[in-house]
Amino acid sequence: MSEDTGLIAVVGGVWTLLAILYATVPMLDMPGSVTIWGGGAVLFLALAAVLGLTERRSAGRG
Amino acid sequence: METNRLSNGLRALPRRDRALLIGMTAVALLALALGVGFGAFTAFLRAGFAQADPVTGYRAMTGHGVAAFFYWLYFAQAVAMLAIAAVHCRDVPALAQSWLGWSGFAFMTAGLAASLAGTWAGTPMLYDGSPEVVGEERAAAAVFYLGYLLLGAGLFLVALCLIATALAGKAERGGRAWSALGFGVAAWAGLVMVSGIGIANAFLPAALWAVGAVDAPGDHSGAWHLLFHNLHYLPLMGVVLVWYALVREMTGVVSIFGDRFSKLAFACYLVFVPPTSLYHMFLEPGLAPAVRVFGSLLSLFIGMPTVAVFLVIVVSLEAYARARGARGPFGWLGTLPWAEPAMSAIGMAVVNLAFGGVLAFVLIQERLAPLLSDTFFVPGYFHFLTIGTVTLSLLGALARLIPPLCGRAPAGRRLLAALPYVLTAGVAAFGIAGVAAGVQGMPRRVLDVAYDGAAPASWQALSRFVGAGAAIAAAALLAYVLVLARSLAAGAAPAGAEAPRPPAAQAAPAALVMRQSAWTGPLSVLTLVAAMYAATYAAVALMRALPIAGAGGGH
Repeated sequence: MSEDTGLIAVVGGVWTLLAILYATVPMLDMPGSVTIWGGGAVLFLALAAVLGLTERRSAGRG
Repeated sequence: METNRLSNGLRALPRRDRALLIGMTAVALLALALGVGFGAFTAFLRAGFAQADPVTGYRAMTGHGVAAFFYWLYFAQAVAMLAIAAVHCRDVPALAQSWLGWSGFAFMTAGLAASLAGTWAGTPMLYDGSPEVVGEERAAAAVFYLGYLLLGAGLFLVALCLIATALAGKAERGGRAWSALGFGVAAWAGLVMVSGIGIANAFLPAALWAVGAVDAPGDHSGAWHLLFHNLHYLPLMGVVLVWYALVREMTGVVSIFGDRFSKLAFACYLVFVPPTSLYHMFLEPGLAPAVRVFGSLLSLFIGMPTVAVFLVIVVSLEAYARARGARGPFGWLGTLPWAEPAMSAIGMAVVNLAFGGVLAFVLIQERLAPLLSDTFFVPGYFHFLTIGTVTLSLLGALARLIPPLCGRAPAGRRLLAALPYVLTAGVAAFGIAGVAAGVQGMPRRVLDVAYDGAAPASWQALSRFVGAGAAIAAAALLAYVLVLARSLAAGAAPAGAEAPRPPAAQAAPAALVMRQSAWTGPLSVLTLVAAMYAATYAAVALMRALPIAGAGGGH
C-alpha cells in the first residue's frame, strides 16, 4: 500500500470512528451528523480502495 | 529548480479544457462582482451612507453572502484545483473525464442563477436559508434552495473530475505516489464531495418542504452548522494548496521537508474536520460542560494544518534564499518576486490570515463564544479570512493563470501587484472597527444600528469606519475584477503569440540549502501564539467592563 492510499485510508478510519462516536454518545448531542461524517467515511474508504486498485493494476502493467 | 510549470502546462492544455477553465473564471468573477456590490451596499446602509427599505437591504445582505461565500469562492477554487490537477498530475497536461467538469460547471452556474433569483423574488433568508423565516413565499424559497442543491451537485461532479484526473496521472506513472500537490488536490476533492453531501443534507429537506412534499425540517440549524463547518475548512485548504503551487511556480522552490511531510499536513485537514466540529455546538444550551471544555481543546487543532503548511513554505523559501546568498535577519524576504501580482497577493494574504487567526481563536473559546457570536465581531474577524486571505489568494492565482490560459501577456501587472496592499488596508479598517463594535455588543445582521437613539453612540461611529473600510476593499476588488475580466475578454491570442516568462531562479545545491538556519517561520508562529493570548486577554478585560449579556444563536 502506497503512502497515498494509506493516508486516505487513515482519514476514512478516523471519520468512521467519529461518526460512530457522534451517533452513539448522547452527551455529544450530534446524532444528525452521522449522515455527513458517516457518508464521508464511506467516501474516503472507497477512494482508498480505488487508489489501491489503480496502483496495483498500473504496477502490474509497468 | 523548475519555475513556470503551471503556466507552461496551461498553454499546452487541450482547447476544451482551456475553455472550461476560462468559462469558470468568467462566472467566478461575475459572482465576485455581485457579492462585492451587495456587500458594499449593505455596509453603506449600516453606516448611513445609503438609504433603502429593510427588505431591499436584507436582500443585498443575502445576495452578498450567497454570491461571495458560496459561489465566488467555489468557482475560483475549482478553477485553481482543476488547473493544478491537469498540470501537476498528468505527464501531458489535460483533464480526465472533462465532461464531468463541464457538467459541474453547468450545474454550478444554474445554481448561481437560481439562488440569486430566489433571493430577489422572495423573503430574504440570509445565506443560511432558514425555513423559519420563509413565511408565505415558499415558491421563491424553493428556487433559492434549488440553487444550493445545484451548487452541491456541481461541486460533486467537479470533484469527480479532479479525482479522475489524479487517478489517470497515477496510472500513467505506473502507480507511483502522487506529488504533494496531486495528493492535496485529491484530498481537497474528497472534502468537496463530503460538502456536497452536506449541502443536500441541509437543503434537500428544506426544498421538499418548500414545494409542499414534506413537513418543515426538524433540525435545519444543526445540518447548517455541519455544512458550515466544512465550508470553513475547504477554502483554507484550497488556499494553502494555491500557495504551495504558486510559490513553486514563481520561485522554483520546493519543500525542503519532502513531499511526504506536505501530504501529512494536507491529510491533517481531513483528520481534524470531524472532531473540531464540536465548537459549533457551544451555543446549544443543553451541551454538557465537560463536552464544552473538550470541544474548546479540540478547536485548538483547527489552525494546525495551515500553520504546518505555512512553516513548510516559509522555511523552504528562507533556506533556499540564504543558500543563494541572502543576508541579514529578513534580507531573504527581499529576494522574493514581489512585482509578481500573485506574490504580493500571497504576502498580504499571510498578514490577513494572522489577524483573522488571532481573532478566530478568541471567538472559539467556550466562554467567549456565547458573548460574541451574534455580534459584529463575527463579520469583523471573518472578512480577514474570507476576503483578506482566501479571496486575495484566489485572485492572485487567477492573475497568474489567466495569461497562459488566454495565451497573452499579463495585463495591468503593476496595478495587480499593488491592489493587495489597498485591499488589506480596506479589510483592516473594516475588521478592526467591526471587532471593536462587536466587543461593545453591536449586533450583526442589523441594518439600523441606531435603534432610534437607544444604542451607544460608538456603534454608529464604528459603523462609519466599517463602511469606509468596505468602500476601500470593494474598490480594490472591483479593480481586480475589471483588470482580470479585460484579460479574459481579450480571449485567446493568435497562434504563435507567447506570454513572457520570467527568468528561472538560480539553483542552489541541496546540501547547501539544508545547512541554512531558517527561523522566520517558527518565530512568526511564536508571535502568533503570543498575539492570541494577548487578544483573548484584551477581549475578556474589555467585555468585563461592559454591561452586556450573551444569548447567541450561532453563525
